[in-house]
Amino acid sequence: MKKLFLVLIVSISLLACEQVIDLEVKEGISQLVVDAWLTDEQKEQSIKLTLSQPYFDEADPKPALGAQVIVYNEDSTAYVFTDVDNDGIYTYTPKNNGYLKQNESTALYIKYENEEYYSLSELKRVPKIDSIAYEVFSFPITPPNGEPKDGYLAQFYANDIVGEGDTYMMRSYKNDTLRFAPNDITLAYDAGFSAGSKTDGLMFILPIRQSINQTLFLDKDKIRVELFSIPKEAFYYLFQLKQESSNGGIFATPLNNIPTNIINLNSNSPKKALGAFIVSKVSVFETVIEKGLAKPKQ
Amino acid sequence: MLNFTFEKFTYFKIVSFIFFLSLHTVLAQDKVTISGKISEAKNGEGMIGVNFYLKELQIGVSTNVYGFYSITAPKGKYTLLITYIGYKSIAKDLELDANKTINFELEEEGKLLDEVVIKGEREDDNIKNIEMSVNKVEMKTIKKMPALLGEVDVIRSIQFLPGVSSVGEGSSGFNVRGGAIDQNLVLLDEAPVYNSSHLFGFFSVFNPDVVKDVKLIKGGIPSAYGGRISSILDVRMKEGNSKKPEFSGGIGTIFSRFAYERPFLKEKGSFIVALRRSYIDILAKPFLNNDLKNSRFYFYDFTAKTNYKINDKNTVFLSGYFGRDVFGADFGFNWGNSTTSFRWNHVFNNKLFLNTTFFYSNYDYSLDSDLKNENNQDSFEWKSNILNYSVKPDFNYYINAKNTLSFGGQIIYYTFNPGQATAVSGGQSRSIGLDSKYAVESALYIGNEQKVSSKITLNYGLRYSFYTYLGPGTVYNFDENTSPGDRKDVLKTDKAANGEAIKTYGNLEPRLALNIGLNTSTSIKIGYNRLAQYIHLLSNTVASSPLDVWTPSSNNIKPQISDQIALGLFKNFADNMYESSVEVYFKTLKNQIDYIRNADLLLNPAVEGDLMYGIGRAYGAEFYVKKNKGKLNGWVSYTLARTERKVDGLNNNDWFVSRIDKIHNLSVVGIFDISKKWSLGSTMSFATGTPASFPTNKFVWQGIALPQNYTDERNSYRIPNSHRLDLSATKKNKHALFKKGESEWVFSIYNLYNRKNPFSVYVRQNPDDPSKTEAVRYSVFASIIPAVTYNFKF
Repeated sequence: MKKLFLVLIVSISLLACEQVIDLEVKEGISQLVVDAWLTDEQKEQSIKLTLSQPYFDEADPKPALGAQVIVYNEDSTAYVFTDVDNDGIYTYTPKNNGYLKQNESTALYIKYENEEYYSLSELKRVPKIDSIAYEVFSFPITPPNGEPKDGYLAQFYANDIVGEGDTYMMRSYKNDTLRFAPNDITLAYDAGFSAGSKTDGLMFILPIRQSINQTLFLDKDKIRVELFSIPKEAFYYLFQLKQESSNGGIFATPLNNIPTNIINLNSNSPKKALGAFIVSKVSVFETVIEKGLAKPKQ
Repeated sequence: MLNFTFEKFTYFKIVSFIFFLSLHTVLAQDKVTISGKISEAKNGEGMIGVNFYLKELQIGVSTNVYGFYSITAPKGKYTLLITYIGYKSIAKDLELDANKTINFELEEEGKLLDEVVIKGEREDDNIKNIEMSVNKVEMKTIKKMPALLGEVDVIRSIQFLPGVSSVGEGSSGFNVRGGAIDQNLVLLDEAPVYNSSHLFGFFSVFNPDVVKDVKLIKGGIPSAYGGRISSILDVRMKEGNSKKPEFSGGIGTIFSRFAYERPFLKEKGSFIVALRRSYIDILAKPFLNNDLKNSRFYFYDFTAKTNYKINDKNTVFLSGYFGRDVFGADFGFNWGNSTTSFRWNHVFNNKLFLNTTFFYSNYDYSLDSDLKNENNQDSFEWKSNILNYSVKPDFNYYINAKNTLSFGGQIIYYTFNPGQATAVSGGQSRSIGLDSKYAVESALYIGNEQKVSSKITLNYGLRYSFYTYLGPGTVYNFDENTSPGDRKDVLKTDKAANGEAIKTYGNLEPRLALNIGLNTSTSIKIGYNRLAQYIHLLSNTVASSPLDVWTPSSNNIKPQISDQIALGLFKNFADNMYESSVEVYFKTLKNQIDYIRNADLLLNPAVEGDLMYGIGRAYGAEFYVKKNKGKLNGWVSYTLARTERKVDGLNNNDWFVSRIDKIHNLSVVGIFDISKKWSLGSTMSFATGTPASFPTNKFVWQGIALPQNYTDERNSYRIPNSHRLDLSATKKNKHALFKKGESEWVFSIYNLYNRKNPFSVYVRQNPDDPSKTEAVRYSVFASIIPAVTYNFKF
């Protein structure tokens, strides 16, 4: 009986339905795709170059091989990224911490098939993550896909740095598994969701602090939270990326191309690139859930 | 900013000239005037649009929205005919020797044709009337049409009319002749309703038990109306039974309804109160466990109206609407409209009638993180509303049998509150206040309906609307050199003082309608109107959401302007058994708002920097055949239409079809009265799929497959067509509760052949395999939906 009424409650939404269908679309011309998200950490940095493909093509994207990839500091120090494995992944391992400079621009230069592309991104400040806390939590009904109904709801604590206009992205790992589907990307403008929210200098608002819960955590689960500083244009890039990657339902917005900050040096060339170049500072916090340390259920 | 061009000036002169000419020709003759009110015998409701006809002179008038008529004729003996479809006609001899006030009452025609009925001769109103591009739907027809989940719905029903559509099932509002939903002026007893939907668009806010009359004006819009550029939906509420107390109500799948109406003070006044509430939450309550105990999900509306006849010359009306949708679990979300209108009908004399309306209308919503919850270390609360007050005098001057003059004006004072929010994080609180915005919209109008000859009727008028965007407020100036499609940066902001006129706009809006009678059953009608709209709903989603914010014209946003010309051929067949019409229209739209990619429309002080402006055009042909009499009633409507936009920065700066474009739209409505007990209703609809944009390519970035359209074309695809068949059956019972009154059972089936009509088609990553991409068809109602409703009245 209880189930029946739950069905009644959500009946209106249950009337709706989604069906995967075949769709014929025109094919466009393949373009260079630049996937370059660097951090200032002293570990291997990579830039992935691929080619765009027809939308419903199920093959893996083709790598863009034989490109010249160089990253420059403002003082013109060059870091050459090389494709050692010939798979379109161009890598460089910094010799020291902080090869990128905070508040400075970093330039990316790519030469591919006689076209030269460049891009700029600025390394922004990032606050420290103070802690991760968790509380006992149960969902009223069992979530789908066998996810736990009872467990721990975690949140991280960090404050936005005072000064308006800092933008961030956060993501989390559960037992060393990163989930990075578009829905899992959390963006923050100061401590809130958008420029209008006027949350400068606050602790990140609750929905952002709790965004690290992909599912409920269990005892002895390892949580890792990463907080990235991103330039403002990257905020809007990721914002639209989230929107366009799943844009359905009755409140869908019109499909718009996601802008890129990769620019062909020859503005008259018909060959344009896609993707984005972003540099970030990262704060990391890791902990293991201990049953005894969880806040009791409220 | 007064755009007083030579062209318009000339037009104005012509109008004045014709007007004075018409006055002149009729001034001196020995004439008398008869006037009065025509109401329904059953309940005393004033009747709108009843024909009052003097046979010998072949002249007539129809009653205004308050049931008032006035006609001037030479002294003499006449045969008077009063006719209205569905009501017994009155035919009587009338001696006109002096000015007179006579009130009439009309009785409803019996359901079955074997009853003796005096046959009216003026059922050809659609031919003779100057109105074109106007559709009226009788409430009793709407009530017999099959309804979604059995809930009778005004807005869903008008979507079966020619020229009317929606972006998809379950979306809020409606589109008229290629216009957006905010371009319809939805009036409830003259007060505008800003969001006409419950439950995100599934049901409309009008309680069918209180609605008396619904009229949709799509073109040839008279000068008395203005403020929106696509259409006027004029919903009039019942006045309440002035003869006897009456209870009515019903229990449906979603709502339970209850209404009470009665006369008071010796039938000098009457009132009606009606309440509707969804009740699934009440039924579900005992079955919810602790965690769901606090969830809230209901919507309701309360409608009330009263009128009091002070004397023969003065009647006052007070109507109010209050409705709200409430949803929440560990968050709270509620929205609703409230309107109040006070009206004063004053009859100066037999010829001059005045209605003055004062109204208040408010739409607001609030979204919060459930502040009742323990945790105020972290919370969020956000409120937004649009509020307006208005005064609106409207005069009808029945100069003579050939000229009826309307004139009047309106002043609306708006307060826009785009968002007030409080965010608390970690115990620290911040308020996010977007400045309220203020504006005054006013208008003066004059119009004359002139019977030039027995064959030609002309209605010409002019409306002058004037708008001021008022301080206090922050005035934003943007970098206009931004390339189209990108976010415009704020160059500077200025503070405007209280009451300071930040920006003013004025528009002359000429209106013209012409009816040329070819013979007794055929006429040609031509209409032209210009309309200006000063307030805009910012909405970048397919269907409008309750969070969408109304915003005023400003130094950045210019008023929307439309010009429409329509041409129609009207013909009746078989002794007015069938009426038919063909209309073609062409419409141009200026200053149409569009949105940059990743536009941020909520809580954004510089929201105007995320807007783009373009032009639009819409054209089409509408075919309509309606059967008025007999056991089988109904209509067939077919619309062939196109609506397009051109915006710099979209679709390579070229024209593209608008999101609401539907090339073919066919509706069939049939109502069959089998016997006194049973009647059947059926509706069928077919519409071309709406346009959509799809990517040509995908690219993978950080493991996420993303769409990209190489050509940057917009809306170059179509989603599959929609079609649907709905059925209903009504069984009337002689006795309702307590063996009194009457009752009925209504059985309905929505989407009889269980079609999954697409609302949209979109592309996404496969949820299980992010490297794969797929297309998804989304249907809002993807199953057959049966429902039962019980109605009673006693």
